[in-house]
Amino acid sequence: MVMESRNNAASAFAEGTKLSDFDERWLIVSHSQAIPSPHDRDRDHEFRSVQHLLIALRHRLSREFMGFRLYVIGTEPFVWKVRGTAEEFGLGCDEVRLFAIGSLARRVFCNHCRTITEGVKTDIVICSGCRANLFVRDHFSRRLNAFAGVQVDAEVPGEIPEAKELYL
Amino acid sequence: MSTVFKTDETFRDDFRYGNSDEAILRFPFPFAEDSYMYSVNIEPHVRGGPTGAFQAAVDVDEHYVAECRERALVLQQDPNRCLVLPHMMAAQWDTLELIMESLATDYPEEFQLFRNGPDWTWYNKPLGISQRFIFGDATTLPYEPFEYITRQAQGDFTLQDQRDNNLFVDGGMVTTQADWSLEFNVGMTFHEWHGPVPVAHDLGVFDRALEFLLRLQYGKPVRRLNWTVTVNPRLDTSPENYPIWGPDRTTVTPENVGDKVHLRVELQTLFRLPRSNAILFGVRAYLASVSELARVPKWGRRLHRVLRDLHPELQTYKGLTRYRPTVVNYLAPFDDGEPNSSGIAPDTLQLRAKPPW
Amino acid sequence: MIRSEPLSLRLRESRPLSPTLRHLSLDASDGGLLPTSMPGAHLSLTLAGRQRTFRNSYSIVSRHDERAHYEIIVRRTAESRGGSAFIYDELRVGDVISASTPNSQFPLQNLARKHLLIAGGIGITPMLSFLAALRERQQALELHQVARMAEVEVVEKLLGSFASHDINIHAGRSTLRLDEVLARQPLGTHVYCCGPQALMDAVDAAAAATGWPASHVHRENFGAAGGEPFTVRLAKSGREIAVGEHETMLEALENAGVPMASLCRGGACGECRTGLLDGTPDHRDHFLTDSEKASCTAIMPCVSRAKTSSLTIDL
Repeated sequence: MVMESRNNAASAFAEGTKLSDFDERWLIVSHSQAIPSPHDRDRDHEFRSVQHLLIALRHRLSREFMGFRLYVIGTEPFVWKVRGTAEEFGLGCDEVRLFAIGSLARRVFCNHCRTITEGVKTDIVICSGCRANLFVRDHFSRRLNAFAGVQVDAEVPGEIPEAKELYL
Repeated sequence: MSTVFKTDETFRDDFRYGNSDEAILRFPFPFAEDSYMYSVNIEPHVRGGPTGAFQAAVDVDEHYVAECRERALVLQQDPNRCLVLPHMMAAQWDTLELIMESLATDYPEEFQLFRNGPDWTWYNKPLGISQRFIFGDATTLPYEPFEYITRQAQGDFTLQDQRDNNLFVDGGMVTTQADWSLEFNVGMTFHEWHGPVPVAHDLGVFDRALEFLLRLQYGKPVRRLNWTVTVNPRLDTSPENYPIWGPDRTTVTPENVGDKVHLRVELQTLFRLPRSNAILFGVRAYLASVSELARVPKWGRRLHRVLRDLHPELQTYKGLTRYRPTVVNYLAPFDDGEPNSSGIAPDTLQLRAKPPW
Repeated sequence: MIRSEPLSLRLRESRPLSPTLRHLSLDASDGGLLPTSMPGAHLSLTLAGRQRTFRNSYSIVSRHDERAHYEIIVRRTAESRGGSAFIYDELRVGDVISASTPNSQFPLQNLARKHLLIAGGIGITPMLSFLAALRERQQALELHQVARMAEVEVVEKLLGSFASHDINIHAGRSTLRLDEVLARQPLGTHVYCCGPQALMDAVDAAAAATGWPASHVHRENFGAAGGEPFTVRLAKSGREIAVGEHETMLEALENAGVPMASLCRGGACGECRTGLLDGTPDHRDHFLTDSEKASCTAIMPCVSRAKTSSLTIDL
């Protein structure tokens, strides 16, 4: 079980399931003094950041065997990032369970310049790469872990609708 | 093949493009009836069909040389228009074998393939290519096999890996697309990459299509037609370059509509591949202006009726909203209200005279 | 590649590997190149006997990219439905037979990081083409072949050119500990099984017990053995056709002149799916879903039979 944070993690569990049902629990605590235990017998491990956790996860998956299951709780970008890492090491969609909680803010992939703009809460956003006004589509790429963004005023430059705050 | 290749054509900038009378008559006109709605509309892909475009396994026409040049330009400006994930190498070789064998079989004057075990030699006369290589060894080709051969074929191609009872688009050469992004879609499942298509999901079209394709047999390819409308004979109408071609949509006037607005028909073919068990999806785009098509009386009448009565969601999805009324008005005089025979084939081999511009 | 008619093959060589195993080599009767085959593919042969026509599928054991000929291995079985007896007793070098284009219900998985091959008896046949392809692609593999004591020598010869630390031959099932083998496979391994029903069921059970996802477990069924005779009634014509104990419902219908669509003839592809109107089916296929099987509204005649003395089908 891999968790981006403690907040609302319990909302991911089915009726009757609790944290201790999972063999091992990894939690990001966003603190520089956090450190995972070096002992195999310990079942709870704390990490300083997403990056810190992913390094350990990659190493762990490279040594695992068939029968392994990975459960992930966190914001959408986090769960897909972990899923992408799991796929690199051969885990298929039946072996990874994702539960997204928290902010609906989106990563947006600009189809024109290929830059990803993070934390987008509105349906129109200025691309951080090429400055185009992008309409944020509902089309999502698991591989890129981002939603498609396409220039909203491509046909008549300057004709830009009002942005709506949809992804809070 | 008696085709004269129109080597001077362009699909951008000055748009030097047009169809000969023969090319018009062989066009894969997509409407078998006077109105249009989605359907799975798959049929066996055999050599032969209602018009000349269906004659070969992989079709080559008078625009071949110019289209290959246009593809090279697109790739020069954006290399990510050809992407293949690493696990699809067997499918790459499958594709090279299929396209080389098809071209050599259907057009023996233009394409020749000699094999001595894995030692192959390929001649492509229209493009002036002579290439000796070892089949299975990508280091003996100037590009990876999929890119190498699709640079010598008209139309886009994607590779679908079959696994988990699903299809995943895990590679492609996509330079002539009607507004979808390979880079964005690579890795998606069948339903995911069809995400943006309206109406069809509710009709269950994709569920049935997927079920069918999962059982697609080696040696029994299938095909279907899809269509949209493009302003100017522009092949690269990618989302990537939408900022560049998007403004075209506002340039249609009643005076230029006949020559500017093109019906863009995709002859889509699906082949099961042997080594990889993957599916090769060919999307071959044919462009003909509305005025060219109206020279076939049946097509002029039919196109008018289809566009006039088109479902509003489809109008939006196909990007037609701005100029559809102008096209419909242009075509109205070609529609004398007479009934049309069902089916695609033209009703005559005599084209109306070219409009005097 | 487009094929509109069946392949015409000529038997160019036939040699015994053992008293019950025969190796056949078939080339194109017009001397041309055969279509590139597929790793794990099978060939459906139409064998025109004196009294009836047989259609049997055999795995291609030669390399998939060998286009001059296809090689198969045929086992002579005591309860043969006749096809293999025909091959042993009637078929002669030089004879021309009709065959389907190679077809695969048992493909190699492109994303697999390792391929675990488990076979028993004649189930070795698809594994031979897998081994050739996997070695060529330099992919990780592990093979376990269960062979009867008497056949170990033949199996060693067949596996000879592939022999290496990752190839294991077991004389009998007892030394093959499926749970252990499956539990120690790295992430991303796929297991492919072909052989007697009991072996394949044991692999399925061991895989489930060790937590393998079903999507990583693949099996090739060679078609069920026969069973109790029964009658099949065609609802539309009222005809009644007897299905003997050594023939499949599909074969009985075909021999009675009923036009039937079919492809893999092993219960996997769905091509022969037929509506069921009456009677209790004995489902032996791997195509219908559990709920479709439970609703008793469809049946796959190539492998399935009847629990009642008759079935009525929607033909």
